[in-house]
Amino acid sequence: MDGVWVQFLGSLLAVVLIVLLTWFLGFRTAAKLDSEAEATAQFQLAPGGFEPASLALDRQGASAIARDAQGRIAVLVPHGTHFVVRLLNEGSAITARDGVLQIAGIESLQLDLGESAERWQTPGN
Amino acid sequence: MPFDPVAYAIPVFVALIVAELMWSRKTGAGHAYEWRDTGTSLAIGLGSTIAAAATGGLTAAMLVWAHGLLPLSIGWAWWAWPLCFVLDDLAYYAFHRSAHRVRWFWASHVNHHSSQNYNLSTALRQSWTGFIALSFIFRLPLALAGFEPGMILACAGLNLVYQFWIHTETVKRMPRWFEAVMNTPSHHRVHHAVNARYLDRNFAGTFIIWDKLFGTFAPEDDEDRIRYGIVSQLGSFNLLHVVFHEWLGIVRDVWRAPWRHKLSYIWRAPGWSHDDSRETSEMIRARWEASRGKRHR
Ligand SMILES: [Zn+2]
Ligand SMILES: [Zn+2]
Repeated sequence: MDGVWVQFLGSLLAVVLIVLLTWFLGFRTAAKLDSEAEATAQFQLAPGGFEPASLALDRQGASAIARDAQGRIAVLVPHGTHFVVRLLNEGSAITARDGVLQIAGIESLQLDLGESAERWQTPGN
Repeated sequence: MPFDPVAYAIPVFVALIVAELMWSRKTGAGHAYEWRDTGTSLAIGLGSTIAAAATGGLTAAMLVWAHGLLPLSIGWAWWAWPLCFVLDDLAYYAFHRSAHRVRWFWASHVNHHSSQNYNLSTALRQSWTGFIALSFIFRLPLALAGFEPGMILACAGLNLVYQFWIHTETVKRMPRWFEAVMNTPSHHRVHHAVNARYLDRNFAGTFIIWDKLFGTFAPEDDEDRIRYGIVSQLGSFNLLHVVFHEWLGIVRDVWRAPWRHKLSYIWRAPGWSHDDSRETSEMIRARWEASRGKRHR
């Protein structure tokens, strides 16, 4: 039984050390979109498909928002070094303040779009 | 306790992960790793060793039981080892293909595909619930055919150890002859891809020949950037969510579905739905082919 414990604790220690090493080596930079083409490719991966008709990139490339021909809206939410596509529910409130978009239900996401932010606001906001 | 190659390989895994980290840093591949992603991968790996210890005895007992059913016994002859390894690899192919095609099996295997990163730490995202997902049944025929249970388990362990090193982007291509016969980083990157053309391809464990033989092989196309993970990306580093989300999904779907569709949510392909509100791999591939056809016209 002792051998099993030694192996488990050794592995646990190795896990902690590797995660610390990963952090210290700088593998903690946020995901970044370099171009609209890259954002488009990522939107197209949405479950069920999503073809952006219009698209806006965050000014730092930290996220993106898009609308398709049917008027559906999706966003790219950063997750580690990658992005996850989230299709917004119909009628999700989008508000713009000082060029930054805020989406109801995805509070962690702030899209810095500058002047074009207003165009993505939902009516009544 | 039968010989377990995985336990001996763990220090090598650790050393290779550290080497890949250093190499990625040196070559400027800053997005190869992400510290929380790596933490989740390694924690899942560690948890899987506990799950394996808890259910390993049962799996061994099933193999011993199957071994005794027929009066066939191959014993420990030297030539039985390579034969057992190759046949076990075929059994692995069958297991792995069904793990992607039957939702009950997928609920366990999905762990392995849950990361959007692809590096050596991803290899350690091993299942916790393989026993519940009946993974052992694919190895019973070998025991039935007369192979020693201890030999089967050792070969299965060696197969798993082999698969560790192919989880990397640092190796582009191996020599031609090697790519033709063996599973390689290139072939396995395709397996972890969510690009429509690559879905449900390259199920191989050690030898890629099974995919070529059974029509599930796809070569890596350097023009098409690979996106890793699962079709509905989790967007979570939460260990328990990653490990159990698909099981919870099954419970939710079976609960909500009309009676005559309940079982289908268990045994049909992942993504199947009775109202076509979701997509299976075939549906995604068909949609992609249709859109590509449109663009080329
Ligand atoms: Zn798989
Ligand atoms: Zn893999």
